[in-house]
Amino acid sequence: MSEEYEVPEGLYYTEEHEWLKVLDDGNALMGITDYAQKQLHEIVYVELPEVGKEVEQMDVLGAVESVKAVSDVYSPISGTIIEVNETLLDSPELLNEDPYGEGWIAKIKPKNLDAELKKLMTAEEYKKHIEALHH
Amino acid sequence: MTLRRTQLYEYHREHGRLIEFAGFEMPVWYEGIIPEHNAVRNAVGIFDTSHMGRMRAEGPDAERFLNYVVTNNVSTLEPGRGLYTVMCNERGGIVDDLIIYKLTPDHFFVVYNASNREKDFNWFLRHSEGFDVELKDVSDEIAMIAVQGPKALRTLEKISSRPLSDVERFQIVELELSGVEAMAARTGYTGEDGFEVFIFDATPDRPEKALKVWDSLLEAGEEFGIKPCGLGARDSLRLEAGLCLYGNDIDEDINPLEARLRWVVKFKKPSDFIGREALLRIREEGVKRFRVGIKMEERGIPRKGYEIWDGEGRQKIGVVTSGGYSPTLNVGIAMGYVPREYRKLGTPVRINIRGRLAGGKIVKFHPFYDETKYGWRRVEG
Repeated sequence: MSEEYEVPEGLYYTEEHEWLKVLDDGNALMGITDYAQKQLHEIVYVELPEVGKEVEQMDVLGAVESVKAVSDVYSPISGTIIEVNETLLDSPELLNEDPYGEGWIAKIKPKNLDAELKKLMTAEEYKKHIEALHH
Repeated sequence: MTLRRTQLYEYHREHGRLIEFAGFEMPVWYEGIIPEHNAVRNAVGIFDTSHMGRMRAEGPDAERFLNYVVTNNVSTLEPGRGLYTVMCNERGGIVDDLIIYKLTPDHFFVVYNASNREKDFNWFLRHSEGFDVELKDVSDEIAMIAVQGPKALRTLEKISSRPLSDVERFQIVELELSGVEAMAARTGYTGEDGFEVFIFDATPDRPEKALKVWDSLLEAGEEFGIKPCGLGARDSLRLEAGLCLYGNDIDEDINPLEARLRWVVKFKKPSDFIGREALLRIREEGVKRFRVGIKMEERGIPRKGYEIWDGEGRQKIGVVTSGGYSPTLNVGIAMGYVPREYRKLGTPVRINIRGRLAGGKIVKFHPFYDETKYGWRRVEG
């Protein structure tokens, strides 16, 4: 079975398969990528961070679990968690169905955005990253 | 290392997501674990289990030999019947769990775990000295397909040369399936009614017979919503049924008394058996810990290796040996070992889920589900 992975332009990506979207108000949304959800398959449980929690870039922020496996979710940037997607608690399948939209995980108020964005991948770079994982 | 492939590999490669298991390249799922799991609980699913270990034991001492290596009493078997058992080392630890079929008075057919293929066969060989028995590892010559679920009987009957409703649990019969000579035993590893089908003289380089039966089953079961199932559903189904997975819930440091497999240890059978003395001593001294079932009451999914704590969260009392999400119950469930005083049904416990002590309780686990609604004991409406 070969699979295609959706990697939208304009987002930033981590090596651990999280995406980050910088919003107009300066805050940022994050979630897991299409590649991540396809690897996990059938996500049945999500552990969300607490609102107000401060995280450093690549700190463990939560976890997603499929029937078979647990996977840590890392914070793409440092900052404060200002909102979490509580809909996922009852509908974790949104992470499979719409990973870049309704399946967003947390909203972060960044602490050091410009410097940290340089450590993340662009869509082009991330595409190469997941291609390399399949060789 | 080159991974081994079963007779049905081409189907798996085309339709499934492959993983390594016990040195084999096997499907973990085709469509997904949950739909495959549900197909077996509610209708029918088929699994390729050709990677399992299979051995023939033939000769005048075959029965006496098997009674010496395993804990159950093989002498209770009539020809055409099988039984579940374990075999133990001298310390009473479990070397493997297995099914033994008596085909004729001096010909037995033994099925054991894929992960223990070499270990078990060597164990059998090593202990056969002095017995007039010929042992033959036939694992690579036999394709094996499990047909499981409340519609398994009707599905298999459609391609069978003989009716199957009279076949009792753990009975094995000869038959033809779509013209292919085979044997079918009314056994399985899902908690559901069903059959395990053996297709002989079918080495991996000659997959035609196995593929023919596999394809015929998929066609025969179409009206019931049959699904091919991978190892993922196999694991979630056996966990819900409270069945042990070797390497998780039982191993060479766990004895059958603490594993709650006392019923397959026949201390009173006439012959001695390996581990008997150790097990008698363990029984006298008293079993210290027991395999239990745990159902989560708070959010979280227990996994193998997670710590079990007492209900107040004061101390660690054990370890999860198998855990996961139960599609049937829609909640996290687990098996693990706890000291005697915590084994009572309803006892509150906690699972250390990545630093958080999530609440659960000890429940009936063989099976976890309601037996009036699921499993082979239910009466089909």
